[in-house]
This record gives sequence, C-alpha cells and structure tokens, in this order.
Amino acid sequence: MIKAEHLTRLYGEQFAVNDLSFAVKRGEVMGLLGPNGAGKSTTMKMLTCFLPPSSGDARIDGLSLADAMKVRRLVGYLPEHAPSYHDLDVEAYLQFTGKVHGIPKATLHDKIREMASACGLEQVMFRRIEELSKGYRQRVGLAASMLHDPQCLILDEPTTGLDPNQIIEIRHLIRRLGEQKTVLLSSHILPEVEAVCDRMMIIDQGKLQALGTAQELAKQAQGGITVLASIKGDVAKVLTHLKAELSDVEVIQQKPQEAGLTTLEIYHPDPDCNLAEQLFLAVVAKEAVLLEMQREQTSLEDIFRQLTGGKA
Amino acid sequence: MSAIIALCQKEWRISLDTPQGYVVSIAFLLASGFFFGSSLFLNGQADMRHWFAVLPLLYIFFIPAMSMRLLADELHDGTYELLATMPTRTIDIVLGKYVSLLGHITFLLALTWLYPLTLSLLGNLDMGIVFSSYLAAWLLAALFSAMCLYASSLTQHAMIAYIVGLILLLVIFLITQASPTLPIVLQDWIALLGPINHYQHMLRGVVSLADVMLFISLTVIFLSLTWFALERRRWR
Repeated sequence: MIKAEHLTRLYGEQFAVNDLSFAVKRGEVMGLLGPNGAGKSTTMKMLTCFLPPSSGDARIDGLSLADAMKVRRLVGYLPEHAPSYHDLDVEAYLQFTGKVHGIPKATLHDKIREMASACGLEQVMFRRIEELSKGYRQRVGLAASMLHDPQCLILDEPTTGLDPNQIIEIRHLIRRLGEQKTVLLSSHILPEVEAVCDRMMIIDQGKLQALGTAQELAKQAQGGITVLASIKGDVAKVLTHLKAELSDVEVIQQKPQEAGLTTLEIYHPDPDCNLAEQLFLAVVAKEAVLLEMQREQTSLEDIFRQLTGGKA
Repeated sequence: MSAIIALCQKEWRISLDTPQGYVVSIAFLLASGFFFGSSLFLNGQADMRHWFAVLPLLYIFFIPAMSMRLLADELHDGTYELLATMPTRTIDIVLGKYVSLLGHITFLLALTWLYPLTLSLLGNLDMGIVFSSYLAAWLLAALFSAMCLYASSLTQHAMIAYIVGLILLLVIFLITQASPTLPIVLQDWIALLGPINHYQHMLRGVVSLADVMLFISLTVIFLSLTWFALERRRWR
C-alpha cells in the first residue's frame, strides 16, 4: 500500500532522510520509531506530499508522490501536535475539512456523525476546539483526518502530551482503525508501538536501521540467547556438564541464595542452540533441582538503544 | 474550486465567531463615517471627493489588520500543513484566503453606500463620479489586499505581517505624495505606475482601461508572489 523507494530529503546540506526504502502492506499498522530528529516527521511529510523528496519516490496504492492531488485523497494525515483551528467549534471544523475534501453535502452530515461517534466526540460537537483538552483535540484531529474515508492513515506522534488514560483510548482507537485501514504511525514511545503495531521500523539519522515484528527485531538485535534459572544443588557440576555439551556457554551471573539455591544467568551466542533444554538436561544428569527457568526477552528498548547508538 | 469556497467560508465563520472581525469592521466604519461627516459639514457640498481622497489612508491602517492572520497564523499553528496535505493546490489556498479578505472589504464598502444614498436625498449628487470612484476604491482595495496577503505569507507572526503590510502600503502611498520632490524621470514612472496616481485619476470620473489594467496586473503580481512565498517553504 505504501512503498517508499530510496526516499531522500536534504535540508540545505544536511540529510534529514537518507535513502529510505520500506513497504507497508494493506491493512497493516506500521510503527515508525526513532530518536528525536531522526527524520520521522520529514518522512511523513514527504509521504503526504507536503514536502517534495530531494530524490527517490514513494508509491501510495500504486500512485507516485508526483500525483499529489490523487495521493492526498487516499491519505489521511494527522501532523504532530494535532493542529486545528482553535476558533472554530468541532462541528464547523469537521464541516470545513469535509468541504475541502469535496464530500457532497448530502452525505457530509452523516459522515461527521459517524466519525464523531467513532472518535467519541458527540459530547463536544459544539464546543470551540480552543476549550477542549489535549486528548479531545487529538481525537478531533483523528476524526478530521479520517473524514474522507482514506485508505491509508499517517499519524505523526498521535499520543504525545496525553495522560495515560487518554493514551490508552487513542491506542484502542488506532487499533480499531487498523482493522480496516493501513496505518503508519510514528512515536518515540516504545511500549506504545509494541502495543499497537504489527510491524515496526527504526530509523536513525535518516537511515533505516531495522524493520520487522517485535520478535524479528529482537532476534536481529541480540545475536545470542540468555537464560535465567534458579537451581538447588551443586551448580558447579551442572555448569561443567553443560560446558561439555555446549562449549561457548558464558556465565553472566551466578549468585548463591539461602537454602542451597543459586540463581544463574547464562548466555550463548547462537540463539538456536537449545540452551534452555541443555541446561535442563545438565541439571537432571547431575541430580540437581531446577526450580525456575526463563528465557530472557530482548526488550524493544534494548534494540532501540543498540540501533540508535544509545542516544535514546 | 470546492477548496476555495470552503476556505472562504471558514474565514468568514471565524470572523463572525470571534471579536477580531467585528472590532476591525466597526473601527473602519467609525473612522470612515468621521471623515465623511467632517468634510461634509465643512464644505456643505453634495460630493464625496474628500472621503474618497482619505480612503487610501484608511486602507493603509485597516487592510493589514484584516489580513495579518490569514496566512501567518496558519503557518504559526501548523494548520498550513493540514491545508497543504488536503486535496488543495497552493493556488487554491491563496485564492481562498484572498477572496475571503476581499469579500470582507467589499462588504464594508457596500455599507458605506449609505453616504451617497443620504447625499442624493439632500442634494444633486453626480452618480457617475460616485460609481467610478467606488470602482476605483474597490480596485485599490483589491490591490492592497493582495499586497497584505503577501506580507502575511512571509512570516509566522501576525504582528510582523501587520507591520510589513503597513510598510508596503505606506511606501505605495508616500511615493505618490513625495513625487513632486523627486527627479523628473522618477516622477514620470510614478505617474505611470503609481496605484495612487491611477486611483486619483479615476476619482475624476474617468475610467480608462489603462487604470483598470494596472490595478489588475499589480494584484495578479502580488498574488503570484504570495503563491511563490508559500511554495518556497516546501523547497527550503
């Protein structure tokens, strides 16, 4: 649905986005992650035909960005900070958006009702946008961006500045929309992207660093596998047995606890080596007791920090 | 086309919903009424020459006030990004804003028709001159609106847009006032191209194609400059 091919944008001499290629499938929710100034907003501004790319192109439903008028009809865009006309009331603002999009008068009213109920705006339809809370303004922005029923939604940091309850509401809303539409959203809040998106990509200094599902990224970032275990019995013997089976095992941490318990953290560079299984077998062979074992997940934070050079 | 109409309606709606529009309109009408009344009772003649002579000065202060937030506020609040990513061309945005501004001024000028109507009851008013003068006043307003819209496209701050607009209009006004003190060559050019000179020419009741074309072409030039200023932002 969205296919970026070598998108590049220069501000003066500086690369804001540098040779960025990716694809978002129809009906997918894609997260665009990166530290501040990584080029997220610039990428979105190019995809919505606000900024022309310096080189490269993107196709939205097969249409090149040069077909700006057609592309804009396909895309709904919520810029950062959800700007809107503060002097208008919600109804008038949605009417204006609908008219600019050329929605016929006959259906406009129903469309506005429909969007207002989808975004939970019925209570505030005749209040000036100025008087609304940040969460409501964000929802007004979302409603306006979806009024013309776009195939594709591009949301720039849709949850910044919201309180935790509002964040959850907006997330639910995006998740619900994602069932019918292609969504590209940017954020630097990792749990949010993890909760909402099917796939995500990480960009830094205008370049694509990683793209995939959370699991794929975890695999890509962390070469090996880490296992945490609590063992009752002679841990030294278990480890010697394990090392005989798997030569590259590293002990990261070994902490004796009370009552003969030891907590153990071991690492192996090959993620497919069945480290957990081997540990279990070693424990059984040495007649020790395994009380607890878990594979440590690489968190998205770790991946993010690794790929963006710890600047997050 | 639907975008131009929608933008225009939005601007009027904001003018009607917020005090700014009323404040500017009322102040304009008060000032204009004052200049009309003061000269009328001094001269005791049924003509509007004095009022039409003062009108450009009123424009110089009021048109920048009406236009200052049109584009500057959109750029400042980030709503310009919204507008520009809807199915609108930059020229639609410029024209929508321009039509709304000119509409506002046309409405105010229409209200001042009370003066000639009153005068025609009191004395023998030359309606030909009134019509040609109103045409001149409207064309001058059209040009000044385009210039002030351009000023508004240059900055994100409405106050700066006001001052830039004011300066642009003052230069146009003063250049005609100061022309007798300038070298002959410049005087000729000013007589040829100065909008105020052409305005004064039309106030005599002569509508020539040259006068009308000058106003129209200068207006088109400033609208194009506005378009250019907005487009340039995308390429920086």
